[in-house]
Amino acid sequence: MIPFQAEDAIHMTVILATLTPLVAFLLIMLGTRARKNLSAGLSLGAIAISFGCSLLLLARLWNVREPLEYSTRWVALNRMEIPFGFLLDPVSLLMLSIVTLICLLVQVYSLGYMAGDPGFSRYYAFMSLFAWAMTSLVLSSSLLQLFIFWELVGLSSYLLIGFWYEKFSATQAGKKAFVMTRAGDVSFLLGLILVLVHVGNPAILEMNSLDSAGLMPSGILTFAALLIFGGIVGKSAQFPLMTWLPDAMEGPTPVSALLHSATMVAAGVYLFARLFPFFALSPTAMGIFLFIGTVSMILASTMAMVARDIKQVWAYSTISQLGFMIMGLAAGGYFAGVFHLTTHAGFKALLFLCSGVFIHTWHTNDIFELGKGGARRLKIPVIALVVAAGALAGLPPFSGFFSKEAILAALALSSHPVWLAAGLLGVFLTAYYAFRVLCILLFPPSAGEEPSGPVGGLAPAPKGSRQEGSSRTFIWPLIILAFLTLLLGFFQGPLQHFLLGEGKALLVDHGEQAGWLPFTALFLSLAGVGLAWAEFGRCGAARLSFVERIPFLRELFSRRWYLDHFYHFFVDRIVDRGFSKLFAQNDNRVIDGSIEAVSRGTLEAGRFLAFLQSGMIQYRLLVSFAVMVLLSLYFFYRDSGGF
Amino acid sequence: MIFYLTGGLIVASTAMAITRRHMVHAVIYLLFSFFGTAILFYLLGAPLLAALWVIIYAGAIMVLFLFVVMMIRTDATEEVMFPLNQWLPAAIFGAIYMAVGAAVVLMTPGTEVALPLMAGSPREFALYVFQNHWLSIEIVSLLLLVALVGAMSLGRGKGRDRTEDEA
Amino acid sequence: MIVPFGHVLMLAGMLFLLGVFCTLTRRNLVMIILGVEVMLNAAAIAFVGAALHWQSLEGQAFVLFIMAIAATEVSVGLALIVYAYRRSGSFDPSSCNLLR
Repeated sequence: MIPFQAEDAIHMTVILATLTPLVAFLLIMLGTRARKNLSAGLSLGAIAISFGCSLLLLARLWNVREPLEYSTRWVALNRMEIPFGFLLDPVSLLMLSIVTLICLLVQVYSLGYMAGDPGFSRYYAFMSLFAWAMTSLVLSSSLLQLFIFWELVGLSSYLLIGFWYEKFSATQAGKKAFVMTRAGDVSFLLGLILVLVHVGNPAILEMNSLDSAGLMPSGILTFAALLIFGGIVGKSAQFPLMTWLPDAMEGPTPVSALLHSATMVAAGVYLFARLFPFFALSPTAMGIFLFIGTVSMILASTMAMVARDIKQVWAYSTISQLGFMIMGLAAGGYFAGVFHLTTHAGFKALLFLCSGVFIHTWHTNDIFELGKGGARRLKIPVIALVVAAGALAGLPPFSGFFSKEAILAALALSSHPVWLAAGLLGVFLTAYYAFRVLCILLFPPSAGEEPSGPVGGLAPAPKGSRQEGSSRTFIWPLIILAFLTLLLGFFQGPLQHFLLGEGKALLVDHGEQAGWLPFTALFLSLAGVGLAWAEFGRCGAARLSFVERIPFLRELFSRRWYLDHFYHFFVDRIVDRGFSKLFAQNDNRVIDGSIEAVSRGTLEAGRFLAFLQSGMIQYRLLVSFAVMVLLSLYFFYRDSGGF
Repeated sequence: MIFYLTGGLIVASTAMAITRRHMVHAVIYLLFSFFGTAILFYLLGAPLLAALWVIIYAGAIMVLFLFVVMMIRTDATEEVMFPLNQWLPAAIFGAIYMAVGAAVVLMTPGTEVALPLMAGSPREFALYVFQNHWLSIEIVSLLLLVALVGAMSLGRGKGRDRTEDEA
Repeated sequence: MIVPFGHVLMLAGMLFLLGVFCTLTRRNLVMIILGVEVMLNAAAIAFVGAALHWQSLEGQAFVLFIMAIAATEVSVGLALIVYAYRRSGSFDPSSCNLLR
């Protein structure tokens, strides 16, 4: 552990990289909210500095193999120690660069997208807050510190999703995102405490070193890993906590781009990569992760096949791609997962930003409407969209091809061929739904052959000013991201070298045992593309997917496998009504039952339980006090062995 | 002996404070309780804390209470004192808590030995805090700043909470 | 100073109980916060006693933080109460049930 030394250049750079967005946030919130351009300038300047610093760090530390840790002691109790500081190693540096780059591009893009919005300054303030939370999360040296920023990321994404707070659905979506990720975070916190109790130090390096295995029995270790993974499930919207992500589309489109590519949801996968050696200690947990990743990937892909809202399609594809990353990581392909995270950040941001151009121009999210409106006339966004969709579908030479290959290779090495088959199915589905959207957008039917069914009902899109879409702030981020998507795949070698180092054995061995794999995957994605073309692209096509021909499947997929209904049912009927009815019944029976023998105590108890649902703070306090007292009683009995 | 006198004072004045119907009286009783606590700190070898306690607790926090109570004039007579459905469970659990606490204290060896003296002079104390807890101090100061901003924005009142985006 | 540690703890426990009692039973938001203050006071006494018992300044350092937390909590809490009073015209905690 190196103590804080202010004269250290690297250290100063790190501080600069993380703190400038916070300074921008505070300045905007406190001072410059009234002046829009100044606020945007502050925020952009801050994130640009941050990005510059991260590039500098990446260049300086490219060849450094040992992770650098700068930390100081925050709290030290006799057995526990909680450090606080920065941890610089290849993963965090790579992630830092991605985060700051995407933030920068999205903020530039937002200059055009959010222009004229009454909350312009507020938007930039939240963006800065988000950037600060995310960069600090990436560089956290201990799990507790990571958790703090994890929560901050959740908060700022809540603020951004519910940004248009006049819209009821937006506030609802924000609330849903907040509550559902919170459910995961509770489990994360429990896992964290478990680790803290057993290892006594939540520093990431300590947890990843192999001695922590000795400190925890394997059962506890698996349990802790599963609990921490619960946080990842919530954050990265994996099965079964995935329904918040499509709703989060209520926010402005650049926000979706940011949330989906590099920040909010990527934080979950990043945590997985961060604690990879720790998780790898428990094969059981890894097996469960593999299963969850697979299930979410397949489920989300099927949902994406029938969605009509362009942003929702990309939202589902985010879930499925994240599931894909988790599959790769859980199968042992550390590099594959991180690599796919990198490439995915690029092309998913590109997809959202392109869609944002369309949405901004035609003010509708419906892909059929957009196609009819003439989306293909916007040349640059369309080209960028094709590039991004190609990457998503895993076509060479785009970046997605290389990272998907890496993940599939990792899956091929895993224990059971089922996972590989699922991965290949996912590749096929992904290619299909990506090009379904593309074909619908690019090849609209002429007005005569409008198919019957659900397509017709909507009002025609207003033919807005066509030139708006090609303003400069829109185009440049698209071009940069498109080039990134094109080129990133060819940096696989250097990145692998950077992440894994020369000395360590490569976890994924390419080529020899699975020579047929790239061809199969390529064939499958081409088949997906072809199918999409056959159903939506060619002249006189029915424009109905094979799924939509089967009513049962269509219902199932478009209702998101009824997961939402289940949650509603659960929360509404069982928790709210069920319990309160139970208490009310108890109350009534006690009062009306005219049984004098029932003592006043039970009456009070019944009334008390009914009051518990009444939202008054003191009853809740009373319950927590009672629980504390009973707990102390329990521990007293246990430790003194009874009287 | 001073300890027991002060302790008795603290408990008595706190008990008076929490049973007053009139909030101003309650605050003033509590003030006595905090003065007693400060004396106790001095006796237990923490002179700096004793001074800070008088300055911050008695001087600032209680005055804040007093301000609020006096600012909002209300006839406190409407309050239902100690409703049974709150009083009874609290008393039951309080009794259990007290019994367990007393048993734990009595059964733990070493608690009946008289405490040794320790000279925690302000200089030593400050050195200790800033050597071992400087980060926490910074965090706490940040927290105070946030609380200040939060209290201000809450206190600005109803009329202005919709105007944030008008600029 | 010839006070056993146990007696300090008993005093702190009694004070804490009074604070809990005040918080749980008074139907008045200001008194609820007052009860919280009493509880914090009790915790501070226990910490100072513990510092003496183990001859370490750690406990006294914690009292410093307790003071800061108490100041924060009171300022924000009282601002909230004033706000609630302006909305509902009452200090009764059962009138703050908008979230119900």
